[in-house]
Amino acid sequence: MASEFKKVMLIDDNEIDLKINSKIISLAKLFDEIIICQSGEEGLDYLSKYILNPEKLPDLLLLDIQMPEMDGFEFLDYYKRLPRNFTSRCPVAMLSSTLDFGDIKRAEANAHVVKLLRKPLLTTELAALIGK
Amino acid sequence: MSSQSIKILYIDDEENNLQAFKAAFRRVYEIYTAISAADGLKILQSVNIHVVIADQKMPNTTGVEFFQSITETFPDPIRILLTGYTDIEALADAINHGDVYRYITKPWNELELHNSIKNAYDVYKSRIDLRNKITELEKTNDELNRFIYSISHELRAPLVSVIGIVNLVKMENLYHSSGEYWSLVETCSNKLDYYIQKTLQYYKNNKTQSEESLIEFKPLATELIDLYAYANRDTQFTINVNQTVPFKGDLFRIEVIMGNLISNAIKYQKSNEVNKKVKIDIDVSNEFAEITITDNGVGILNEHLEKIFTQFFKSKNHHGSGLGLFIVKEALNKINGRIAVNSSIDHGTTFKITLPNGK
Repeated sequence: MASEFKKVMLIDDNEIDLKINSKIISLAKLFDEIIICQSGEEGLDYLSKYILNPEKLPDLLLLDIQMPEMDGFEFLDYYKRLPRNFTSRCPVAMLSSTLDFGDIKRAEANAHVVKLLRKPLLTTELAALIGK
Repeated sequence: MSSQSIKILYIDDEENNLQAFKAAFRRVYEIYTAISAADGLKILQSVNIHVVIADQKMPNTTGVEFFQSITETFPDPIRILLTGYTDIEALADAINHGDVYRYITKPWNELELHNSIKNAYDVYKSRIDLRNKITELEKTNDELNRFIYSISHELRAPLVSVIGIVNLVKMENLYHSSGEYWSLVETCSNKLDYYIQKTLQYYKNNKTQSEESLIEFKPLATELIDLYAYANRDTQFTINVNQTVPFKGDLFRIEVIMGNLISNAIKYQKSNEVNKKVKIDIDVSNEFAEITITDNGVGILNEHLEKIFTQFFKSKNHHGSGLGLFIVKEALNKINGRIAVNSSIDHGTTFKITLPNGK
């Protein structure tokens, strides 16, 4: 994992959750910058646009599971095709309210997913994840 | 369905028989006749036939051979075999390979044939009804699965957002800004979320097939405590696990059982107790795992001990859902486990569960 977590990218189709979670993160001062994306596509567009621009890239991804069009797992299928020198230093944490056993197992089985965080996001859990 | 719309196909290489059959039954049934197996097949392909009657002795294809040839393509019509002589081999073939419902000798007795056709149609109808029922059930089951999935997502997601907002309110020190309103919102949201979670657990316990895997109790207990105690940090946990042999069991249900008991042990603490304690002892042998969960909480009234495992039982003083222990018992039933409870009011409760080792 990266030694320093400065930027976090939030991917969630739910505007209210984006608002809540970015507010929680900024109040807890866990990151300097929050990149907000309303869909997996938007997230991928951002990442591929700045892939050669490391200072623009996030250090952690918080990814919702249930999203229209591209869900969290489909996003991960594209994510793993991004250059390794980026994906290996930017871990992904799923952030979902799911209780579905299938979702939980799939998240645990994915090599890029370091943790399945439950909504609502708790600052203590996020802090523990990034070692702060 | 009136008997007029019962569709009968009669195949015989003798034109006379076909005519006689028509004459006898055309007022009662919708009759189709064919002079050969090949012609009969054509009719089957274009008409939804309910009962097929075939003569055994025909050139090219015999009645049994014909029945055999349509077992895959037209499994539904009920078959009746007609023969002019008693041929044991044909009879055995008819039963073993042709899926024949009745065997009638020629010349036929009109009443006997009539009754056979009627019975054959009843069988046809109940088969189709059964199949429709199964399709219907599968659809209902499918819908139920989708419904459960949408409860776990669509219904719960906005609720979890509300809980997130309450957390934000706390972080911004606004929790006490509107009297007790925020704490009321929090209590109601948590209660609703608890009900959704328990309902899903109950449903999954009923649905899911038992699946055995190796279980390490030490990490499992620690994980469950982390999960249920995160909102309540002032309870002291002591865990003693004595596991030297492998244990095989249904992880999902064991999690449900231990999780509910641990969450109860935390929930039913005395609010004025300074040393809130929960002790978990686990002993694993080749035959059993014995799990004892002891708390120093409020305890259970003697007269309530028998009722705590029934659905929607709630004690007056506490705000449970009446589902937790009921689900524990249901899950234990599924995996042949046992539970015993010992309690003393104001001193605490001990639950002891015994799970068979499925090694």
